[in-house]
Amino acid sequence: MTKPEITEYKSESLMVKRIRKFRTIKRGYYSFIIIIFFYALSFLSPILMNYKALVISYNDKLYFPVFKYYPSQTFGQDRYGEADYRTLKQQYKFAGDGNWVIMPIYPYGPYESLTDPSSEPPNEPSLKHWFGTDDRGRDVFVRLAYGFNISLSFALIYVTIVFIVGISIGAALGYYGGKLDMYAQRFIEIWAAIPFLYTVIIISSILRPNFGLLIFVLSLFGWIGMTYFIRGEFYREKAKDYVHAAIAMGASDLVVIFKHILPNSLVPVITFGPFAIVGAISALVALDYLGFGLPPPTASWGELVGQGMSNIFSWWLVVFPLLAMVVTLLMVVFIGEAVRQAFDPKEFSRLR
Amino acid sequence: MGGMTNYFIRRILLMIPTFLGITIVFFFILQIVPGGPLEQELMKLRMGAAEMGGEGAGGGAGSGFGDVAIPEEALEEMKKFYGMDKPIHIRYITWLWNVVHLDLGNSYVYSEPVWDTIKTRFPISIYYGLFGFILSYSLCVPLGVFKAIKHGSKFDTTSSLLVLTGYSIPGWALGAVLLVLLGGGSFWSVFPLGEFRSEGWEDLAIGAKILDQFYHSVLPLVAYTIGSFAVLTVLMKNSLLENMGQDYVRTAFAKGLPEKRVIFIHALRNSLIPIATNIGQLIGIFLAGSYLIEKTFNIDGLGMLGFTSILTRDYPVTMGFLVIAGIIKLLGNIISDMTYAAVDPRIRFK
Repeated sequence: MTKPEITEYKSESLMVKRIRKFRTIKRGYYSFIIIIFFYALSFLSPILMNYKALVISYNDKLYFPVFKYYPSQTFGQDRYGEADYRTLKQQYKFAGDGNWVIMPIYPYGPYESLTDPSSEPPNEPSLKHWFGTDDRGRDVFVRLAYGFNISLSFALIYVTIVFIVGISIGAALGYYGGKLDMYAQRFIEIWAAIPFLYTVIIISSILRPNFGLLIFVLSLFGWIGMTYFIRGEFYREKAKDYVHAAIAMGASDLVVIFKHILPNSLVPVITFGPFAIVGAISALVALDYLGFGLPPPTASWGELVGQGMSNIFSWWLVVFPLLAMVVTLLMVVFIGEAVRQAFDPKEFSRLR
Repeated sequence: MGGMTNYFIRRILLMIPTFLGITIVFFFILQIVPGGPLEQELMKLRMGAAEMGGEGAGGGAGSGFGDVAIPEEALEEMKKFYGMDKPIHIRYITWLWNVVHLDLGNSYVYSEPVWDTIKTRFPISIYYGLFGFILSYSLCVPLGVFKAIKHGSKFDTTSSLLVLTGYSIPGWALGAVLLVLLGGGSFWSVFPLGEFRSEGWEDLAIGAKILDQFYHSVLPLVAYTIGSFAVLTVLMKNSLLENMGQDYVRTAFAKGLPEKRVIFIHALRNSLIPIATNIGQLIGIFLAGSYLIEKTFNIDGLGMLGFTSILTRDYPVTMGFLVIAGIIKLLGNIISDMTYAAVDPRIRFK
């Protein structure tokens, strides 16, 4: 028996159209490309910014210290522990007996104290340290770069979790309605009235949080916003014919919720994504600033600002991290603005 | 009107479970977790005892750290002082009973009633809350209106960029940058380095008092204003734009009214409704004071009090702060809805 040929209706055509629209909005589209590029690049930070040499040729043998630890004696240096690769490079150059060292482009690490006997850290920006050093003599530029990766990863993971939880709960409430909805709404009302940043500070002041715990605690409060939108969408969609048709054909609740209704209710999810990321990054920076964020010595923007406020003469500790944050947030906001225009366009008709 | 009155009575009654919910969550978090005030006090005592013991014995048979015995009676006394001698649900009920009788307890740190501690912070909050409120509304409403009228023009697109930038800068962050640039730390010394007023403000002449206060407020007020700048401007703009597309505006134009009259008399009035409903949040000025901004400018306001009370484990103050913050926030929401109903006759809550 041959099945009759069914021309499949491509339901993503609307999606394709929206994405095409998004790409025409230059400011948002380019911000998107730039952010993705730098985020991908930031995973390569260990080979772009590090105090460990990339390649060493010593007595005609190649070594790759970035990936492996060598005691300094391996390279003819007489230090305790690991070799000082920056000095090593100078030594080899000076000796001129065919050994060489290739350092990363920016040869300083994020946790390395670059104390210099001639001056006390924090040090001003210089050619060696583009954005200066912090109060422990660590290079600010490197810490900002590592912090970019951490902030964005933090925000992306947080937003994913919050959306999954928010969508599931919102969908259940909107789809089943009734008593479940009523009780859950009361609960959400209480939960939403809790001043969440304050709570996070209380919890952080007691349990020294790490990356995972901080995401967990923030997620405890973050899921609420999304439930409102999804619940509303599901209420509206539930009454439509295609849902009745699906139910009549014997589709289970889960299939109806996730396969039929959800794809039609994704607009608020997508349009709120970028703004949720903005919220997550600023919350993380604020918590780090207050000293209740990621544990030291994590490279963090907020922690640098905190240092800057207690060393008011070290302007570079305040200006550069906040500049990094604002530029990042602004680009994400541009993306959000473009996404909203593409997915949920608001046309205002002006009569005159 | 009966339905509406009922609605608001219900809303006010619904505050009770919400209030209970919030305080229970916080009470339990604060009491269950380790490192509470009692533990801290005990630790201090032990450290002190160990030090003294060390001195007395001349470092001889160092009795060790922490096994200094604290007399059973003293321990009981301290437990009683911190209310730890009863099970937690009893403690909560006692606390709640006192709160209902308008007694928030005594601060461990300041050794005075919590209410007195909080009360002294109100002037600072009201000062910044009120001026920040006035400043942001008198800035954002005209800007939003102008942007709506000039929708799509060059002015609109460039100022949109400004608005988006404002959205991306948290108030405290802008404050920190301004403080570093203008506070005399590294560059120009235009404004003072934080604090609410100069030391010795009380002894100044009235003119100097005002001037001093003004100098101290400029940067924090900018920081407070930027927080609502973007949202409020966009809200105003969109609201007016939406009304400009309505049929009644078409009618007004059709009967030959001049554009100015249509916009400012007909459309603007309706588009102010969502803005006006924000008035309910005006009650929030009693609480205004983000601890982020207060920490940045070293202002000893309400936010700062709530923040330091966590650090010093001054839990009665923490709870008192939450009670007042919670009530004000919930009341603000209700007042907002009431204003909404009062301003817009189409709105009927039931």
